[in-house]
Amino acid sequence: MSFFRNKRLLVFLIGFIVVVVLIGYSLGERDKLSTAEQLVNDTVGWVQSVINMPVGFVTNIYTNMNEFLNIYEENQILKEQLAGYKGLIYEVQELRDENQTLRDNLELTNSMRDYEPIQANVISRSPELWLEEVTIDTGTQDGVQKNMVVVTGEGMIGKIKTANQFTSKVQLLTGFDQFNRISAMISKEEGHDIFGMIEGFDKESNSLMFRIIEESEEDIGEGELVVSSGMGGVFPAGLIIGTVKEVVPDQYGLTRTALVEPAADVYDINQVMVLDRSLDVVDEDAEEEEVKEE
Amino acid sequence: MNRLYIPLFLFLILVLEGVATFFLPADLIMGELLIVPHWLLAGLVFVVLYYDSENTYFALMYAVIFGLLFDMIYTSILGVYMFSYATVIYIIHLLKKMLHINFFSMILFHIIGIGAGDLLIYFVYNITDLVDMAWNDYLLDRLLPTIGLNLIFVLVIYPFLKKQLVKWRTTEQWK
Repeated sequence: MSFFRNKRLLVFLIGFIVVVVLIGYSLGERDKLSTAEQLVNDTVGWVQSVINMPVGFVTNIYTNMNEFLNIYEENQILKEQLAGYKGLIYEVQELRDENQTLRDNLELTNSMRDYEPIQANVISRSPELWLEEVTIDTGTQDGVQKNMVVVTGEGMIGKIKTANQFTSKVQLLTGFDQFNRISAMISKEEGHDIFGMIEGFDKESNSLMFRIIEESEEDIGEGELVVSSGMGGVFPAGLIIGTVKEVVPDQYGLTRTALVEPAADVYDINQVMVLDRSLDVVDEDAEEEEVKEE
Repeated sequence: MNRLYIPLFLFLILVLEGVATFFLPADLIMGELLIVPHWLLAGLVFVVLYYDSENTYFALMYAVIFGLLFDMIYTSILGVYMFSYATVIYIIHLLKKMLHINFFSMILFHIIGIGAGDLLIYFVYNITDLVDMAWNDYLLDRLLPTIGLNLIFVLVIYPFLKKQLVKWRTTEQWK
């Protein structure tokens, strides 16, 4: 191996250039990963899902045992809540029927609220905790595409960063920066909704920053629900993002920012859903054009 | 056949790193601390200490290959882990001559390796603006806990791995 000793400097320089080129290449805006990366990711994803089976089995037993301990108290509370829900179910059913009839009258088929859920399992989390990414076991073959929203039962947890053939990477809410904005709103009565944008995650207060664009008369109270508004992008409307923790003025005092605590726990996730909005953005534009022509 | 065991073992570590954070208690991850498993780097340090001789560069080769795989699978920013792992393994390859390898020097090499590796990653991520973290926060919240928890992993696999690597090396030399 005298090659290494004699030409050490040359090897080092070439290596350094290769590294700089690679970093530069991958930092640029990439719509899709290269074929080699997709292949590696899918292969490793398959191995990971095999390994995940026993791991998931063990952690499941552990969490189950933890849950057994307070199952009695939980049952009591749930029974009480269930009684209240019965009336609510009837009301929701009525409203849904009415909504459907009204929609049929207006000849609206899809709304921003409709979506097709794609079930997925989390197979790994990036050890590089700065990046806040998890990998799920569905890909473009199952209909997953870049920028789709990912939710759990409790609420939004992130969006698809890259979609490969059989696996995809999810950028978690906690890793959002100013480039990953979500248009969101706080629903109020009689059209006094408050609109704004989720503009990244603040590590210090452990909350999302919801910049309020349109001020309304009312003040925002603690514990109010922030949901996605469905405007712009591919996110459906009405997905729960979190609850307001505190409202602070921004550095110039012109707008206000609400600190929003995410509703879903992004650290303990196994099953997720990728939501494919039924109403395409493209279709929306086409509809508008049709209206203009008329 | 023997030559295949080490890449297979490193690949297994690489895959397991992805589920490593599921085992840590949620409080630990939720809090301020950022504990990053550098198991692959620890495995590579073992290879350079107990498998490589002075003139072989197996660990360096594996560092480049598996570092690049790590970048592809977990970060999608190619080159960062490859660069830092390869540099660290090369430095340890040079330092290895200076110390007689026993249990304590092994621990010392691991501290140097994981510390330098994570520092290099911080440095590269910082100059590419991917991470904005003050030096003090980084030192206390990430570097020290990371070294600490990875040393536990090193101590757990040390007895098993050392024996195997020495065995593989001797069978390799007989050929």
